[in-house]
Amino acid sequence: MKVEPSPLPPIEFDHVYLISRIIGQAGNWKSALDQILSQVRKVFIFDNVAVYLLDTTRRTLDVGYAKAAGRGHSREADVAWGENLSSQVMLKRSTILQEPPDDPAMDRLERPFILGVPLIANQQILGTIIFIRFGSPPFTPTQTQFAEYLGQQIALLIAVQQRETELSTVESLRQTLRIQGDFISTLSHEIRNPLGFIKGYTTTLLRTDKQWDADTQQEFLKIIDQETDRLQELIENLLDSARLETGLIVMNFQPVRVEAVLNDIITRSRLHHPGLEILLQINPPVPPIIADARRLTQVIENLLNNIEKYAEGSPAIITVHHQDSQVFIDVADKGPGIPGKYLELIFERFFRNPEREKQVYGSGLGLFICRQIIHAHHGSINVESTPGEGTTFTIALPINQPQNGMMMG
Amino acid sequence: MKPHILVVDDEIRYQHLLRVNLESEGYEISTAGDGEQAIEMIANRRPDMVILDVMMPRLDGYSTCERIRQFSSVPIIMLTGKAEEDDRVRGLNAGADDYVAKPFSATELVARVRAVLRRAVNTESITQSRYFSHGNLRIDFARAEVWRDDRPIYLSATEYRLLIQFAHHVGQVLNAEELLLAVWGGFLS
Repeated sequence: MKVEPSPLPPIEFDHVYLISRIIGQAGNWKSALDQILSQVRKVFIFDNVAVYLLDTTRRTLDVGYAKAAGRGHSREADVAWGENLSSQVMLKRSTILQEPPDDPAMDRLERPFILGVPLIANQQILGTIIFIRFGSPPFTPTQTQFAEYLGQQIALLIAVQQRETELSTVESLRQTLRIQGDFISTLSHEIRNPLGFIKGYTTTLLRTDKQWDADTQQEFLKIIDQETDRLQELIENLLDSARLETGLIVMNFQPVRVEAVLNDIITRSRLHHPGLEILLQINPPVPPIIADARRLTQVIENLLNNIEKYAEGSPAIITVHHQDSQVFIDVADKGPGIPGKYLELIFERFFRNPEREKQVYGSGLGLFICRQIIHAHHGSINVESTPGEGTTFTIALPINQPQNGMMMG
Repeated sequence: MKPHILVVDDEIRYQHLLRVNLESEGYEISTAGDGEQAIEMIANRRPDMVILDVMMPRLDGYSTCERIRQFSSVPIIMLTGKAEEDDRVRGLNAGADDYVAKPFSATELVARVRAVLRRAVNTESITQSRYFSHGNLRIDFARAEVWRDDRPIYLSATEYRLLIQFAHHVGQVLNAEELLLAVWGGFLS
């Protein structure tokens, strides 16, 4: 093969310096490579370039960067060109230059000069960078060295970025673990407490060395009964929220008349909670909405239960109106209100107002579930409260759902 | 005289459960809902035993126990939420005499109380005074407060532990190893 002087201008120190300057300032290896390749184009031409990166978990080579300088080949086809050489470079861990037979009669596109350079940082091979020139000119030894230098610099940048990605993955995993840890420790406390009472009072009744009078026995059995109910409520709420969160509960969306749903709730409440006065205002009538009536009932009943527990003696005032494509349901009380600093938190799982949690039993899951259900309806639930005056929960529901019967995400 | 037991738990139903079972054994029961209140009651009323819950808001059972141990050797049974070894060791390190894991059976609890009280009677009671005075220095162990010439002095937790070591050994030479173990020991291990 005859050696011809390269038709390209020689590579100068300035070009090398340019690379290290761009690398030093780069935040991202792809944009750094873009910048470098466009600025050294006069001394280092190519038709196509591709970077193949090793996926360490799957042990495959994936295209991480590809660029065509044009001369009629589609980018995908060129990427395929490089794959074969890329594998060889990976195995050899050193530069490979493939040159075509010197036959001027052959088509330019069938005579590619392919230069493959390994991307190695900290003795680890990360991938390859492949340059293709169709027909001419051949890569000179200086140009090959220049490509190797470029490869080293890019490899360092890729390694740094991979570390950063790994670091943020580890960080987010740690965050997840911490949240799960908090969840488990709260949960075990919530479950152990009623369980501890049931065990304690039962074994007290079972003591063979003691006789308890009938009143004491009644009292203990009542406590055991109440604690069993708490445990059951907690477990049901837990299962509900877990199912909602993982999307295992499919909303059964159907046309629903809000007025009918609310009247049903009020009738049932009068039967089971005769102490709670409920006032309903619907004016003017609202159109039917697409909703899951059973789940909507669960939300409203939960809010009413809270009023009974936390705003004892206050009536519940339900107001319904609609505007544009939404129906609004306000559930208000005239209770002691919720301090402003807790308003942001009350929809969080297991959050309970620390000033009330000792006097009022609750699992800290009710409002969390309410919000999940309303979100599954593509609606929103918000709260406003003035200490000493009362609290208002506002539920906004779209009249139509984007898709009927869709799962919640 | 009936032995006097102080029950410290933030859950009223646990207070009640312990009271019913222990009163039926002939003990006199008082209750406290948190650690601060418990320390105050121990300092003023000198109970014969303390049953101390671990999971309490603000001052938890371990810290309460450590604070009690700075001025009192009253027998303490810890009620731990978990029965993992770590929690038991932590309770015993904090100065507890025994532990009972929740949920517990009433019979077991009563038996443990009896056993711990029996042991306490056998070893001579060495309950120390709540207050310490020397020259112009005065310490209230129950409140972890220090005065010099009737003016309060604010100390870091480590400084306070160091001062207590000196107060408990007035006129004695303490070597560095003893001090390290007593003051920093819990953190070095």
